[in-house]
This record gives sequence, structure tokens and C-alpha cells, in this order.
Amino acid sequence: MLNVILEELKKASPFGWEVTDTQTLGWEFYLIRHRLDQNRVKRVEHIWVKVFEKSGDGQFLGSAAGEIPPTASREEAAKLIAQLQRNAALVKNPAYELNQPSGKTGEPAELPDPAPIAKEFLSVLSRLPETEKADLNSAEIFVSSIRRRLITSEGIDVCSVYPSSMLEAVLNARQDGHEIELYRMYESGACDGEETLRRLTETLRFGEDRLKAVPTPALGKADVLFSTDAAAEIYRWFILRMNAALKFRRLSDWEIGQDIAPEATGDKVTVRAVRELPNSSENAAYDGEGAPVRDEVMLENNVPRHFLGSRQFSQYLGLSDSFIPGNYAVSGGTAEEQELRAGDHLEIVEFSDFQVHPVTGDIAGEIRLGYLRRGGKTTVVTGGSVSGSMNDFVNTLRMSKESRQYNNTLIPAATMLKDVTVTGAE
Amino acid sequence: MKAPFSPYLTAIAPGLQELIRLLSGRYEYVSVLSTDSVGFHVTISQRSKSVSNETMTTERGTVVRVYKNGLYSEASFNRFDPAHPEQKAKEIGEELDRQFSLLEEAKVPVYETGVLDDEPETLLVEMETGRLPEDEDIGRLIENLSAVSDEGMKRGEHLLDCSASAQSTHISKLFLTKCRDLRQSYVYSEGSVVCTGSRDGRTEMGREGVSGRVGPELFDDLSHVLDEAFKDLNELLSAERVTPGEYDIITAPDVTGLIAHEAFGHGVEMDMFVKGRALGADYIGKRVGSDRVTMHEGALCAVDVTSYAFDDEGTPAGDVTEIENGILKTGICDALSALRLGGKPTGNGKRENFEHKVYTRMTNTLFDSGTDTLEAMIASVQHGYLLQGIASGMEDPKHWGIQCIIEKGYEILDGKLTGKVVAPVVMTGYVPDLLGSVSMVSADRGVFGTGGCGKGHKEWVKVADGGPYLKARGRLG
Repeated sequence: MLNVILEELKKASPFGWEVTDTQTLGWEFYLIRHRLDQNRVKRVEHIWVKVFEKSGDGQFLGSAAGEIPPTASREEAAKLIAQLQRNAALVKNPAYELNQPSGKTGEPAELPDPAPIAKEFLSVLSRLPETEKADLNSAEIFVSSIRRRLITSEGIDVCSVYPSSMLEAVLNARQDGHEIELYRMYESGACDGEETLRRLTETLRFGEDRLKAVPTPALGKADVLFSTDAAAEIYRWFILRMNAALKFRRLSDWEIGQDIAPEATGDKVTVRAVRELPNSSENAAYDGEGAPVRDEVMLENNVPRHFLGSRQFSQYLGLSDSFIPGNYAVSGGTAEEQELRAGDHLEIVEFSDFQVHPVTGDIAGEIRLGYLRRGGKTTVVTGGSVSGSMNDFVNTLRMSKESRQYNNTLIPAATMLKDVTVTGAE
Repeated sequence: MKAPFSPYLTAIAPGLQELIRLLSGRYEYVSVLSTDSVGFHVTISQRSKSVSNETMTTERGTVVRVYKNGLYSEASFNRFDPAHPEQKAKEIGEELDRQFSLLEEAKVPVYETGVLDDEPETLLVEMETGRLPEDEDIGRLIENLSAVSDEGMKRGEHLLDCSASAQSTHISKLFLTKCRDLRQSYVYSEGSVVCTGSRDGRTEMGREGVSGRVGPELFDDLSHVLDEAFKDLNELLSAERVTPGEYDIITAPDVTGLIAHEAFGHGVEMDMFVKGRALGADYIGKRVGSDRVTMHEGALCAVDVTSYAFDDEGTPAGDVTEIENGILKTGICDALSALRLGGKPTGNGKRENFEHKVYTRMTNTLFDSGTDTLEAMIASVQHGYLLQGIASGMEDPKHWGIQCIIEKGYEILDGKLTGKVVAPVVMTGYVPDLLGSVSMVSADRGVFGTGGCGKGHKEWVKVADGGPYLKARGRLG
């Protein structure tokens, strides 16, 4: 079908076009306790076509995109392409240049077998150090082998083949007829068995602790330590504020060379786009528009250096060598992780759904499990919520020197936000 | 007009029926769900414009479910030659056999389940729509949305952008077994306006949406949606932080819907009962709310974005009374969970798309109306908030915690709205406490279908929810 689409595109001869052909072989196992609830296999191909049309005076470049099913007939494909052409001509975006070829990738490889990765995930679950008090409730294993090829009217023809995996695990802990659960979802390239086992083992311990939890007191303001995946949401706020589309759409008011928090007394954040992170599912050499991906500093010690993002919005900002990053690394911590845990604070290791609004900077999340440390004493707490704004927290942020990776994001292992509003559950 | 059933699905149906016949030689039960859903998504703002043929639910593909030795297995694919179903039957058998070999090697035992019924049934439902998305004049739509965006920008110098968005999807689904042939076709649409503005160094986004099981005619006049989005923006720009604490609250119908969804929507999805993940299983027949709380769930409860004729397992749409006068009556259930629990499926077996597994999922989740007026409810509050606008929510069926992130709250003092707005508002608490505190229920009701719903943090499907104004006690932060 891909060849038919390419032929029809050449026949239709729009100003420009991009075709992204993604083939996926996926294996999925669903477990209740350690029993197989269901197994699934999927073998799919999605061909995504984007057509560009330029206005007669060259002022505007419009685009329209859509999927052409691999089962489409030649006539159906031609009709869809014609529709995309008509729609693209109606879209009046300021003109920009399409990406040009810059290097080549090897010949498209066969989809690798997902079986060894799926086997490793099953092995991890069989090795969980379960006890009578804490064990696995259920798990879902998703392993995909993906081949993504991008072909454009400008001569780009790049292909990447990579694994993408996800493990969802629900863990229970119980005591005296009272049972609680903790939820974890890990995304990665292949399965890092030892790291996955370490995190699940840690979660089992959290589960046993949650059995002892008391309602979170109304603390008013407190210093809150983030040491699990919720912390990645904090840094996503920095990353999104450095996104070219958000900048062009006026949703980020940060400026190149201007400190985002000139009065800051805490640690200063550095964010880098990185080409590769170990076992990330986003280690492609080229982005979705065919631009080569490289290491680049985005934010350096709280000072914006490079906005990065899609070709269209980057060019509107006058950026000529931009790309859509796949991986990020955050640094800037000045304290050991244990130093951050030294004073009075609330360490939250499980939220219902911790969120940071990319535009307003508002944070919010219900506390499912936290450790309240006051006067050298630790109390396990649950319930209540945190709120506040990153626009304030950025002034006093503290980060650990140690790092921890969550799929495509490497961040400080511990992050402290000061004077967070904590609504109690008492 | 009737939304016509997909000619593509009609054409491949005989090939799929032959595929079922072939697979039935080695499996005890075989079903096929095949989909062909088309649509558009257009977004127009001052800063950028986009047109796509993709919405959350556009798709074309097939999923086969087979059963053998107590185990259900599935294969999803989107390449199928109806002239050669034997090739696909062979491929499915070989792929699943490779998985069985690995599972045997890893010594993974099976969670055994009975076999599904296959009562003969034939159905073709083509629902009414004003227009079809595939026939829509995209040029005219772009003009309409541009006019909304331009009008929004004229409303104030503090506007940074005004974005108007429209998406419409024509769903066609075919469900086949040896004895069943079910076909349905319907159109749903949703639109929104987002006003982004900045004042005194603060940037906020006001939004409003509209939805329905209707065609693109929904977008012919979005001026009222713009009015609400602009009002929302201005209120957020002047909003203060709420002082954390417990208050009398009145929930507007959209927030009522969020509570319904997070509290006893997710809380009674019975696939969670099978795993022992829902406290609701122990509370059937017991009190979980005040006498004034009655809740329904089902594709037949309202006409909105997910009001289908049958679910993704071929179960007819339902209308389940989940809570009646505060007593939890039952939950909602997909077909396999019903087999495991010894009950009946309720028409709530849904997939994100043909590539995904079925889970028990919500459709329309609604609190029933009462007899109170909003005016009387406000007059009864000494110090509290009228909560309106939803940002997000999160379920916690195991512990009945609830997290609702609400756009804003209007302060009420001594029975009157003061004009002060607080935002954002995080409402948390214990579901039975919240529902147990419901003391007044308004006579009107709203239904909202612009959002999506995940199971945990994935498996996104369309849902609608709503209800009347409720007066209760809530913990806000």
C-alpha cells in the first residue's frame, strides 16, 4: 500500500508531502495475580499522510493530515489524497520551509521478535519478593516492536526500528482484614529486569507502610519532597515552557537569555535535550518530521538557551536548526539526596494523579502515601492534597545531585518544593 | 438523515464470516469486531490552524477473540483480504501458538473462564444525524471557526489567543460470531472554544465545550460557547486561592458529573471486582450516599457521544440503576467479567480501538435530578462555594478516595454569591462521606461529553457524565 500511496502522491503533485509508515508487532499479557487473564497479539500498519499546499503569493503554507488504511484501494487512496490537498489549500498558516534531507539511516530492518522482552517481564513478576502481607494483585505487559519510516517530497527517507514496552502493576498490602493497593506504570524500551524488580520491590515496601498510614494533618504550608515518578511532572513544566509551539502561541513568556527566576535562592535548573538515554523508548535518530536529533541545552541554570520543537513553530521563532526532542536530562542539584531528607518535610511517594498545568504552573494532587518527618519523627500519612504554583516554587527549588531515569526523562532523584499548600485529611 | 453503515465493512463481512468458520475448527468460541470510523478535526486560532482526518475514535481494523481451554485470546490487525481468509486464520493461529509456547515455558497458569453464549441475533442500526463528517464543507467550517476566533480577540486587549475547535466522527462497527451479525452506525461531534489571556503577569485559559450524538451541524453556531469561554477566562484571571478547609459546596452539573464518574463510575466497574480492586463489591445493598442520591449509568441513559446500540462485545446498550436513594444496587459489567462473577453483562464492554483489550467502561454516568432550586441551595449556604468547570479527576475504587481538580469556585457568604472567585480548586475526600453529605438536589440536569476517560493512566475512551446541582460538604484545597 505504501508504494501505491507514494505513486498517487507523485501523481497528485501537491506542494509537498510527508508519509509516515509505522508497523507494529505487539505482544500483550494480562495477569490476575500470577494467572493469565488474557493474551493478545497485534500486527498493524498505520500510514499517515500529510499534504502541504502553498498559496499563490507564497505567503501561506497550509497542511492537512490523515491516515490512509493499508486496506484502502488505489481509488480510495487517491480520493483521500485529493481531499487532503483541498483541505491543505484552505489552511492559511504563514509560510515555512519543509525539512531537507540530512544524512541517511540504514535499510529498513525486519521487526524484531518481542518474545524475549515479554519473557523478561514475566520473569520479573515471578521473582517479586512477595509476602503474606504484600503481593501482586494484577499486571499488564505490553511489548511492541516498532518500525517507523518517514518519506517526504523533499527526499527524506529515514527509518528507525525500536522496542517500546509498558508494565502496569497493581500491588496489594494487607493486615487484619484491611487491604490497600498501589499502582505503578513503567514505560521503557526493552525490559530492564533488575531496575523493574527494584522499583516493584520498593513499591511493596510502600504498600506495607501504607497500612500504617494516618490521615494527613492540615499542615498549611510545608516543604514537600518528590522522590518517585510524580517528580517528572515538575520537570515537564520546564520542558514545555521551552517548547517552540508554546512559545509562539504565547503560552510561554520565557525569553532567551533572561533568567526565569532572577530572585531565586534555591538550585537552578538545567534542561538538556539528549539524543539517547539508556533503554528509553524515544531513542530515534530523527524526529517525526525528519530533522536530526542531537544533544542541546534548552535551559541553563534557569536561563533559556534554545527553544526546541516542530519545524513550523520553530521557524516562526526564527530557529533554523530545531528538532522535536525525544529524551531530556535535568540537572542542577547541589545536595545529596539524604541532605534533602534531613529537615522537617513531607515526602510524597504516591499520588492519585499529580499534575502541573503547563501554562499556569498550578500543581495539584491527592496524596495516597507520604512520609511526614517532624522533629526527627516519621509518620506515614495518606489523604489530603497539595497545591500551589511552579511560578513560586521555582524560586526556592532544591534538587539532589543523584539522578533517576523515568523512560525518556533523566531527573534528580529527589526534588524539594518549599511552602507547598497541604490540605489535610483529618 | 440516517448515518449509513460502512460500505467497506459490508464488503468484508462475508470474508470475516468465513474467517470465523475457519477458526471455529480449532477454537471453541470466535467473535470478530471490525470497525471503520471516519471523521475530521479542525482547530483554528490566531496563531495556527490545523486540519486532520483523525479524531480520538477514527480507525479501521479488526480484532478477533478466540476461546480455548478456559482462556480468551485476541488478535488485532488492519490488513485483511476477504478473498483469502484462510491466510489470516493461519497467521492468527501461528502467532497465538508462539505466545502459548512462551507462556508454557514460563509456567504461567490460566485464570479459567467459561465460554460466552452465542444466541442468534441480527441487527442493523443506522442512527439519525443532521449531516455526515465525511461530507462536511471544511472550507465553510474553517470560515465559521475563524469568525469565532476573530470575535473572541475583539473582546479585550488581554486576549493572547482564541482557539475554536470542531471534531466529528462517523462510527461504523460490525460484530460477528457464528450466530450473530450486529451492525451499527452513528455520528457524534464535539466542539470547544479556548480563550487564552494574560493580565498582571498571570496567564489563564478559559474554556467551554459542547457535544452530542449529532453531526457537524453542532458547529453552525458556537457564539454561546465563546461567551462562556470568555467569561471563564476573566473569572480565572481575577481568581484567588481558596483557603484550605471543609466547606458547604454546591456542584454545578459538570462537576456533579465528574463526581459521578470518579466516585461510582470507576468505583463499580466490575472488572475491578474480579481482581478484588474495588471496595464496591462489598457494599452492594448497603448505604453509600444520602437518600437523595440516585445514579444511573448506561448508553441508553442519555443521548450523547457514547450512546451506541451495542458495545464492543456485542452486548446491547443498557441503563443500570447503580445507586437508588443512597443504596448501592449494582455495578456495570463487560461480558467476560459477567461470566466470572456469575452475572449479566450491562453493555459496558469497550475498547479504546480495535488494537486494545475490552475493559468495563462507562458510557453516560448521571446523578438523577431532585426537586430543589439552585436559588434555594445558594440561600442555604452560610460559607461555601459553588464549584464549576472541570480540569480532571482520578478514581480510587479500592479506597474510595476521590480527587477532582475543578476550574473555579464562586464564594457564597450568608446565602449569597459574593462575586469572589477562587481557582483552581482541588477537592479530595472519602466518597461515602461526600455522597452521604448530599442534602439538596436541583430539578434540572446537564450532560457533558467533551472529555475522555482513561483506565488508570491509559485506555482512553469517550464518555459523558452529568447530573443536577448538588449541595454537599467537601474538602477543598
